[in-house]
Amino acid sequence: MSAVDKPIAGHVDDSHGDPNASYLEAKHGIGPWLYTLDHKRIGLMYLVMISLAFLAGGIFALLVRLELFTRGKTIIDAETYNKFFTLHGAIMVFLFIIPSIPAGLGNFFLPIMVGAKDVAFPRLNMWSFYIYLIGAVISLASIVIGSVDTGWTFYTPYSTTTATAVASMTFGVFVLGFSSILTGLNFIVTVHTMRGPGITWRRLPLFVWGMYSTALIQVLATPVLAITVALLMMERVFGLGIFNPKLGGDPVLFQHFFWFYSHPAVYIMIVPGMAIISEVLATFTRRPIVGYFAGAMSSLSLALLGFLVWGHHMFTAGMSEFSTMLFSALTFLVAIPSGVKVFNWTATLYKGEVWFTTPMLYALSFIFLFSIGGLTGLFLGTLSVDVHLHDTYFVVAHFHYVMMGGTVMGFLAGMFYWWPKMTGKLYNETPAKVGWFLVFVGFNVTFIAQFIMGSRGMPRRYYDYLPQFEPFHKASTIGSWILGLGLIIEAVTLLSSLKNGKKSPPNPWGSAGYEWQTATPPLLFNFKEIPVRTRGPYDYHLATPEDLYDGFPEGEPHGD
Amino acid sequence: MKLAMLAPTSFQLPEAMSSFAPTIDDLYMKIYWLSVVFFVAIVGAMVYFAVKYRKRAGHKAEAATHSVFMDRLEVFWTVAPIFILLPLFHEGFRGYMDLSVAPADSIEIRVRGAQWRWEFEYPNGESDNVLHVPVNKNVKLIMSSEDVLHAFFVPEFRVKKDLVPGMYSSVWFRPTVTGEADLFCAEYCGGKSKDNTGAELPPAQFNGHWSMISKVKIDTPEAFDKYLDNMAPVGPLEERGRALYLKKACVGCHTIDGSKGVAPTWKGVFGKSHKMADGTDAVMDENYVRESILNPNAKIVAGYTAPSVMPTYQGTLKEKEIDAIIAFMKSLKE
Repeated sequence: MSAVDKPIAGHVDDSHGDPNASYLEAKHGIGPWLYTLDHKRIGLMYLVMISLAFLAGGIFALLVRLELFTRGKTIIDAETYNKFFTLHGAIMVFLFIIPSIPAGLGNFFLPIMVGAKDVAFPRLNMWSFYIYLIGAVISLASIVIGSVDTGWTFYTPYSTTTATAVASMTFGVFVLGFSSILTGLNFIVTVHTMRGPGITWRRLPLFVWGMYSTALIQVLATPVLAITVALLMMERVFGLGIFNPKLGGDPVLFQHFFWFYSHPAVYIMIVPGMAIISEVLATFTRRPIVGYFAGAMSSLSLALLGFLVWGHHMFTAGMSEFSTMLFSALTFLVAIPSGVKVFNWTATLYKGEVWFTTPMLYALSFIFLFSIGGLTGLFLGTLSVDVHLHDTYFVVAHFHYVMMGGTVMGFLAGMFYWWPKMTGKLYNETPAKVGWFLVFVGFNVTFIAQFIMGSRGMPRRYYDYLPQFEPFHKASTIGSWILGLGLIIEAVTLLSSLKNGKKSPPNPWGSAGYEWQTATPPLLFNFKEIPVRTRGPYDYHLATPEDLYDGFPEGEPHGD
Repeated sequence: MKLAMLAPTSFQLPEAMSSFAPTIDDLYMKIYWLSVVFFVAIVGAMVYFAVKYRKRAGHKAEAATHSVFMDRLEVFWTVAPIFILLPLFHEGFRGYMDLSVAPADSIEIRVRGAQWRWEFEYPNGESDNVLHVPVNKNVKLIMSSEDVLHAFFVPEFRVKKDLVPGMYSSVWFRPTVTGEADLFCAEYCGGKSKDNTGAELPPAQFNGHWSMISKVKIDTPEAFDKYLDNMAPVGPLEERGRALYLKKACVGCHTIDGSKGVAPTWKGVFGKSHKMADGTDAVMDENYVRESILNPNAKIVAGYTAPSVMPTYQGTLKEKEIDAIIAFMKSLKE
């Protein structure tokens, strides 16, 4: 592609910086950060904001769990509880998980992996960050002006009648959606038009395939969310009857609209997590992911199937039996690409050279936890069993196993894996592994207890509960403390490495991945000259173990 | 916790008290054991490979070679799951159809949900806030909501169905044992822990989604008939009013001991003049009470915010029942 040879229009501002200096040092001061067009700096700023959102959402989660530690009132009153679980969900979904991997790590690594100096539209990329910030401020302003108590799903007619600040929160979500669309658009165009010489579709790292699949969903599904919340705001603010039956509307219509976005959004969350796991597993087994092509296609099929199964959130809402049947059948199909991924990852370990680093431990935990998340999905896809389990803690545990056990484990794997690349510092493995152990144990204690109380009939979003559920709630809350402690240790480990960490060699893991064949931390323009790739990103058999650390030998260029 | 998960059905599922429960439990356990097998296989292989091929001196990853065997394996694990998923889908759908189609001989009970109470109205026109059903008889519930979404959920019956404002939904079941089961609202419907001035109520008076719970009492057919017979009004009018006060969930907001609640107390207020939110004065006489029951927003007592959270009882309370409530209020003197 010729685009890589030409100076990128948006980079005029950065021409004052030395393109051959590290992106962290090319320019100094706060200003160059705030108006940077560099995808790496934008990615890093996203990571800071996203981590703060994760912290806020996590604090709300711990408070919700603490309230449920005993029956009756433990620390907060009922209205506050309803607001806290809503804020936990809304912050985690819209401010943390959806942007986490694509906008943070994806922004940083996708251009490097495809051999480009930046994304296709650097200025849009900066805008997407500032739109995210504006959206976050508007959403969080709702906390000050009365908060929201609808649950993150904003189901009508409760959401159009409650006295809380629904309009502000949903407007924030509306704005955040555009940030997500712009990131997706940028990635699609970048992958199509800016792949460097030798990087054919079949040589794209699986992380890029995952980002590409995610971007397709972001661009196609997010506008529906914007429409949905716009209609909700019109009903709330102008009394236009769309969803509220008192005004002639249909409340179930809202659920259709909402899940038409929010189910695909589940794949916006999980596919990037899977994408990271593929990278990490390849590096720490020194093997290509088994079934590279199947892995890439399974990401695309998850993206496609994600659009066809929204009705499975509504099996008890009174849809026709015919629709219910179709949605159940389509839901079962999701098991196939998910299964293909898990089987391929497991098979990748076979005859590999398994190196138990912290990112690898997170990747293995991903397989463990995502398997539980996926298999418990079978219970929920099965119509008659779902009727019993719907809206209980079983569902809560199921989607936490997928979202947190999947995406967050993937995110943490990616953070530890790429930390040396992004910061130029090595973190300390020992506390990182201790933190991992606590996260893994704490997570399982928290949510296995929720599976059991759910299948025994404990409904979700309850401020108080009957005595028979008390032991499970106690166990779950204790688990949340272990989990919280583990995450604090991880955060401290990473942050302290900024100050005390050893300087990282260019390729500390000896990975064959393209992004590791550049300076650490990367140069302002990523490469001194655009590299010509002559091999795939997982071709470990083409290098000696020493080569892996010293620089992967590139062969004669040839097309694929 | 993990070992406990392996325990039999009774640990994971509540007691089976309806005709659906055994089939649904059977399918649940099938999926459970299927999941256990897959989980152990995946994680077992993962741990085995990870340990066997761990990084150590003298061990190197074997170079990946393209093999026909791997291609076949890839096709196998893409296609094979379909043969497991198809029967699951089929069995689940069959069960769902059973849940959807009520037998023609079902006893019909009308269910109304509102923030935050249940009302069950029996064929004799009487109603209660606890659901009584006869054992071994088919019962069909015809449900509607007066405000926001609710959902009827009885774990022991394995049934759940949303109550959607503006439409009827229905659910049916056949209880198979006598006894008692918990009845939950499973669709989030808000909550309240402050009175209308914004002051926090004592925790015992918090009201919301989590407190929209009740009981199903599964009676013998004889006991059920007796229960229906005893529902007809008996005794003095104010006693009938007291019963309605409890049954119709007035008790949720109005106290009868003079203490402050979400709504004005009933103690010693009848026949006296009160300050209204719009600044006027109104006497709480028969017409005032009647109007407030049928149109709660017509007059709001000062200190309680408009619009009122109280649902209208138009169509829910009969004339003689309103009379009984008025009689009960009259009896609550200072």
